[in-house]
Amino acid sequence: MSYIKIDKDKCKSCYLCMDVCPYKLIKKSNNIGTTGEYTVEFSDSEKKCIGCAQCAIVCPEIAIIEVNRE
Amino acid sequence: MQVYSIPKSIKKDSKFTFCKGCDHGVAIKLIAEIIDELNLKDDTIAVSSSGCSVLLYNFLDVDCLEAPHGRACAVATGIKRAHKARKDDKFVFTYQGDGDFASIGLGESMHSALRGENITAICINNTNYGMTGGQMGPTSTMGQYTTTSPLGRNKEYHGFPIKTAEQIALCDGTQFSARVALYDIKNILRAKKIIKKAFECQKNNKGFSFVEILSSCPTNWKLSPQDSHTKIKDELTKIYPLDIFKDTTND
Repeated sequence: MSYIKIDKDKCKSCYLCMDVCPYKLIKKSNNIGTTGEYTVEFSDSEKKCIGCAQCAIVCPEIAIIEVNRE
Repeated sequence: MQVYSIPKSIKKDSKFTFCKGCDHGVAIKLIAEIIDELNLKDDTIAVSSSGCSVLLYNFLDVDCLEAPHGRACAVATGIKRAHKARKDDKFVFTYQGDGDFASIGLGESMHSALRGENITAICINNTNYGMTGGQMGPTSTMGQYTTTSPLGRNKEYHGFPIKTAEQIALCDGTQFSARVALYDIKNILRAKKIIKKAFECQKNNKGFSFVEILSSCPTNWKLSPQDSHTKIKDELTKIYPLDIFKDTTND
């Protein structure tokens, strides 16, 4: 099963990762981050993540600290 | 299987202090990945300059020196030559903004290229002076609204913007000059390939290599991170075309 790990302390809510995810698995969470906006979270209940790492490549803050592909 | 992790050349527990959506983070991440891939971490000396790019030494786990405003290429020349004289060759690169490389330090930068110094210069072009609040820079486009050109840049009063990568490619000492952008996945991967080529140019003792990176500045452009990337894609790449302008590394 592929999955990513997000460091929510580093996330600055630019939401660039939400736009590139091919299955839209990254969503806004209820946690308010350093910029006063909602940080992102990874929710993959149907196990759709393919581990393409596009979110990690585009993240300007290295907040996506790990991508694991099966 | 882990396919992505934080590059080893990024300092542990460091947190980027750039504005949200700023492409500086992506650029530093790419440089760290390339330093890891070429195994240069122990032999690298980075030279940062004034502007947002000065923060490089807070994040990159290599030896860094902060040069006076605009003089990064001159300082890098000194470091490179001093180490070469001691037969302890180091990998030296500069990380500058467009105001630093192409405005106040244009003389130093261009003469480093003309001398064919064996260093690599990376210039982040965000078309304004980001750190001081978005004043008009040498690369501001025609009609661009900034705090010092409130009616838009016009040719009668302000003149025309400089196309750095083309100008540096005209210098005979330059071996590699290219322009890249970071607005989508395809261009980020292309940028990585081209920066790696510039680093290899120095590693193989070819001469001066230069990469200009078109970057977004959402805070001073007063746009969202997404709209900033659209602006680069639709407007800036028309004025500053993405290309390799000189490449003699294979000769």
